[in-house]
Amino acid sequence: MLVVFVMINRGIWVFTDVSKSMSMFMLEKALGPAVDFVEGRDGSGAKTWIMQGALWLVPSSFLTFSGLWLAHEPTALNSLASWGYSPSSEELILAGNLTAFHGAVAMLLIGAGMHIVPKLGGTSLASERNATLMSFVWTFSVFIMMIGAHSPQLLGIKVLFVGTMVQSLVAIAVIINQLLTASSRTRKMPLPAWLIIIGLISYPIALSVVAISGELETGLGQWTLVRMVGGAFFFMQVAGVSLYAASIGTGNQLWSRSLSAVILMGAIFTLNPLGDTTGSIAADLLGIDHSTLEASNTDVIAGSFLMALAAIPIIALSSNILVTMRGDDVFVENPDYPGMPEINLGGLMLLPLCIGALFVQTDSLTGTNELVGISGTMLLMVAWLLMVPLSLGPALAIFPEVSGRSLLSNIRSRWAFWMMAGGAFSGLLMTLMADFSEMALLELDPESGLDGISKEIRVIGSVLFYGTVIGAILHCLNIISGTFRGSILGGKQSESSTSIIQESFQLTSGTTVRKILASGANLDTEVIPTAQTDKPGSHSEL
Amino acid sequence: MEEGAPIEIGEFIQGEGEPATSWLFLVLGFVASITFLVLYGILYPGNDLPVISSVLPIFEGVFDSAIWFFILGLMVGVFSILGTMLSEATGE
Repeated sequence: MLVVFVMINRGIWVFTDVSKSMSMFMLEKALGPAVDFVEGRDGSGAKTWIMQGALWLVPSSFLTFSGLWLAHEPTALNSLASWGYSPSSEELILAGNLTAFHGAVAMLLIGAGMHIVPKLGGTSLASERNATLMSFVWTFSVFIMMIGAHSPQLLGIKVLFVGTMVQSLVAIAVIINQLLTASSRTRKMPLPAWLIIIGLISYPIALSVVAISGELETGLGQWTLVRMVGGAFFFMQVAGVSLYAASIGTGNQLWSRSLSAVILMGAIFTLNPLGDTTGSIAADLLGIDHSTLEASNTDVIAGSFLMALAAIPIIALSSNILVTMRGDDVFVENPDYPGMPEINLGGLMLLPLCIGALFVQTDSLTGTNELVGISGTMLLMVAWLLMVPLSLGPALAIFPEVSGRSLLSNIRSRWAFWMMAGGAFSGLLMTLMADFSEMALLELDPESGLDGISKEIRVIGSVLFYGTVIGAILHCLNIISGTFRGSILGGKQSESSTSIIQESFQLTSGTTVRKILASGANLDTEVIPTAQTDKPGSHSEL
Repeated sequence: MEEGAPIEIGEFIQGEGEPATSWLFLVLGFVASITFLVLYGILYPGNDLPVISSVLPIFEGVFDSAIWFFILGLMVGVFSILGTMLSEATGE
């Protein structure tokens, strides 16, 4: 990481120009006629990535919903068996997780990063054409992964491994594109841009480090790889884009640069507990055999210690987002700005989910496995209450800048938020309750059937989660229509959806502009100074 | 019109606005069709509805689970996304 940082700042000695022109050639000319099929207008790369990321939310939320449904009714989709499709709950949830993380979250983050890095560097993206073209290849790789989650092997080929290979090629193109962009910056880049770039680079670096150390085929190596990719690739990019969006959405300056630096260093030097408790997904994606996690005492102590330390960057991110959104003194959140409620939710959920994940991970690492029953739902909560809001929110916030038009309707955007957040929160909370009830029942009587109360709670949980599917559809409709009919940026902005309009503000004593705005005033509010006097009052004359 | 005079061919004109009461005729058509179905049951008791009664058994055993209502909702959503894409891209 440090080498990359130095190389970006100092160049590669006499090879700098050669490597730049060579990389640019690889991004555009080397792709031949394929690159001519896509447009290279400013912002087209980011827009395509964001739109496809938003579209992936629909299948990912529905696959997760179906997985939750089949957990209480395994025969619900039996009629599809005549078409050769008879998925289990586990397969559907795996497909939902893969499409949520690699499809929706990763695409929204990469798309947002393609706008933020050039913006903060005072330059433009090195190759818009390559960015646009690669978005379709990435989507293709996620599609392969979705199939691989159902059928790991087709014609003797490991499907998930093929998906990973295709995705890695795209990731390399994206990294080169962003590095070239960073190298052409005209000013010092703030930390959110570095978080995005280093988060991207960490993907191949984490893989290489574990492979070189020879630990890739051990349970511990696979588990560590999941932690490293989750903590660096996803967490650092989420941190970068949400800190940027929290500032531009509210108009407040980023609260603390030091905390941003702590997030960057903390994400590199600690193990993030958010994510899967096993390394099996890493083994599947790399096409190697699963290995059982057998940690020695030293591994357990080191792992638990590093995961506990991850609370530092997580708390730093949560506080930096939330305080940036609220400003230094009073609550000046801009509720009309799209994406802000999502970022607010993600910022609030960071800490409780970190604590929950820490308990589950430590339980799994030590081999106690008392909380293994809730690990699946914890992963879903991390996906839908943390990663999706913190990637979708910034994407919505920067979308007007990227596309040149605002979203079609702020009210629809708010409805979509409530559907998504409410569905995910209530649905997964119910599922978590069912998990706990099942664990308690099994502990009391391992022979007991699980058709009782836990099944009924699961029904409610899955039905409530359907709100997430509806929210995802509403978001997609809003984005697509906004691209064509949203008010043009710089033109007449969409009117505030609030019914409280303050036409005048009585200024009786000295105050800050922030406090005036916080009282409900806007830029058109007339500030009327009211004269004061120290003379004692007298009776009113009738 | 005088014989031999030139004939003026009119143009097709379509208004931009939608009359407020046009929905009334849609509702009227819907109510009429339901009424005829009920009437069929009264006039021919014991006889199944033509076409519909032979199509419905195909779906027996398919829509046994309530998940299909949710799948139907998803299909409506997906088609509305596709429809929005097409109509926004081709609309004037």
